[in-house]
Amino acid sequence: MTDATLGTHREAESARRRAVAALKQRFAQQDVALACLLFVVLIALPLAPGVQGWMASQATLVIVYVIAAQGVALLVGYTGLVTVGHGGFLAIGAYTAALLTKHFGVDMLIAILAGGVMSAIIGTLLGLIFLRLAGPFMAIGTLGFAFFIGTVVNNAKIFEGREGISLPPKNALFGHAIGDTGFYYVSVVCLALVTLFLWSLLRSSVGRALRALRDSERAAEGSGVNRWFYRTIAFAVSACITGIAGALSGLAIHFVSAEVYGDIWYSVDLLVAVVVGGSSMMMGPFIGGLFVVMVPFFFEQLVDFASILKGGVLIAVLLFAPAGIGEVLARPVRAMRARRLAAVGMPPERSLGKPMPVNR
Amino acid sequence: MFGQQVMSGLATGSLYALTAVAVVVVFRNTRTINLAQGDFSMMGAFFALILLKQFGFNYYAALGLAVLGVILLGVLVERAVMRPIADSDWLTLFTATLGVYYILHGVAGWLWGRDTKAFPVTFDPTPVKLLGAIVSEGHLINMAWAAGIGLILYIFFRYTKQGIAMRAVTDDPETARLMGIPVRFIVMLTWAMAGFLAAFAGVLIAPIIFVGPQMMDEVLVKGYVAAVFGGLYSIPGAVIGSLMIGVAENLAGGYLGSQYKTATAFAMIVALLTLRPKGLFGIQHRREV
Repeated sequence: MTDATLGTHREAESARRRAVAALKQRFAQQDVALACLLFVVLIALPLAPGVQGWMASQATLVIVYVIAAQGVALLVGYTGLVTVGHGGFLAIGAYTAALLTKHFGVDMLIAILAGGVMSAIIGTLLGLIFLRLAGPFMAIGTLGFAFFIGTVVNNAKIFEGREGISLPPKNALFGHAIGDTGFYYVSVVCLALVTLFLWSLLRSSVGRALRALRDSERAAEGSGVNRWFYRTIAFAVSACITGIAGALSGLAIHFVSAEVYGDIWYSVDLLVAVVVGGSSMMMGPFIGGLFVVMVPFFFEQLVDFASILKGGVLIAVLLFAPAGIGEVLARPVRAMRARRLAAVGMPPERSLGKPMPVNR
Repeated sequence: MFGQQVMSGLATGSLYALTAVAVVVVFRNTRTINLAQGDFSMMGAFFALILLKQFGFNYYAALGLAVLGVILLGVLVERAVMRPIADSDWLTLFTATLGVYYILHGVAGWLWGRDTKAFPVTFDPTPVKLLGAIVSEGHLINMAWAAGIGLILYIFFRYTKQGIAMRAVTDDPETARLMGIPVRFIVMLTWAMAGFLAAFAGVLIAPIIFVGPQMMDEVLVKGYVAAVFGGLYSIPGAVIGSLMIGVAENLAGGYLGSQYKTATAFAMIVALLTLRPKGLFGIQHRREV
């Protein structure tokens, strides 16, 4: 090969790289635009006819579940640790916020933050125990944790058991009383912040470390990734996010009782949301949260049918779309993008719909 | 007082053991943590209740038919749900049993209602003196049943061809298959055994905790904790774990107050897992890259 042909070869190669990079950037911009569009829709939702008041509070509930599921997805999808106990953190957040509001009359912003911080503290402590455990053992341990929290809130006097803690009918934000629609906007802002935070976290060195640990613990540790450090961070952040969701859920309905937060199967609902939606993509918790809230909502009179439907959908997803509904929806887009990348000379990407590499 | 608490703890513990052993048997042969185990028991209790109340069967006939029904249910779940995804990772298998859990809860609630029902068979509460402790007859009968089932399992695993094959599959499914053991059949048999144990657990516990879709939720969590004592692997470990939980929670309930009863199991599992992350009797598996 002469110097001249080598030169043109290099030029072509760098042109190809530039084209691929430009296209990838374009796709990333499209993703961000799509997310922005979703939030525009969420902001506009209460303005739509017939979505006043009660419907707005139902929408708030969906958002709360999405946030909680994002916390679970951080562990299950991106870290490869299975938790069945995040209902416990939901309860911790809800009770922290409720007790602060009731006894000290704090601003709802402080109540929400306190819910998150309290969950993060307890999450860090629990992480010290649970992160020692291999997959199935951790699942059972976390289920036990949810069960324990359920027992505590049912029995300790301060939590007022099944009687529940009633909160003032209006939440106070910076001293102003806000109604259901106002609260809806607060939760949309929380959702946006949590989503943005997770998005940046997963693109940072922490996110890469977590995924490396998920895919191969030993290889990652061999490359100098500190397993304990990063997994404790993941556990704490995940607990914090779910705690924030818990605080929001308690304030949204102005009532926190052991009947709701003492039920261990709430934890399981969050896992269902993550698995059905898709655990290792940003879109997953949105779809999953919508699913677990809307099924009981539409079949309010048919609780048992809702339960059968939930189980049936869950099994169908596992049989036919193990990476979640989100992955199925994204498949055509991914295929199209792969074709366009191939057209400018990019070797085909591996599918992101990977089976979860949790300890087999 | 102390002896009495211990005896009744052993009686409850022996019922937990039926669930814990089933959890272990299914997990070690199929890598599945079976969340539907409690619902198998719940279905068994409902079958027996209906046979007793609406068809006027006697207790033993109802028990036998309930056992048969739940065995069929276990086999059905294996064929319809678990077999197609048998090669997936454990989270998929676990969530699939969660799907079964929701379906069975829904079916039971739909057919028989969500309220709890009393189970018509109650044992004579006349206390019997045993080893210096005063025990109720119901407790003794439950312990006798559990011991009998334990003996059956022992004989099965020790002396029958299928039992030995099942142990071989536990140790190494791949080698077992190469040795000509029909692994699929053994897996089906595993689920049948889960059904068999579940039916007894459900019918025996029914007079104590009443019958309803949610009846086994709490027992199931304790069964898991007990199974973890055996490292999710050892059957004797799971049995010992169950008895320990039964006794510990009874003592906690008796001396500290009944609200501490349910939290005991969690306190025990935290203590255990902190000291021995793979269970008291667990074997340490080699980690792979």
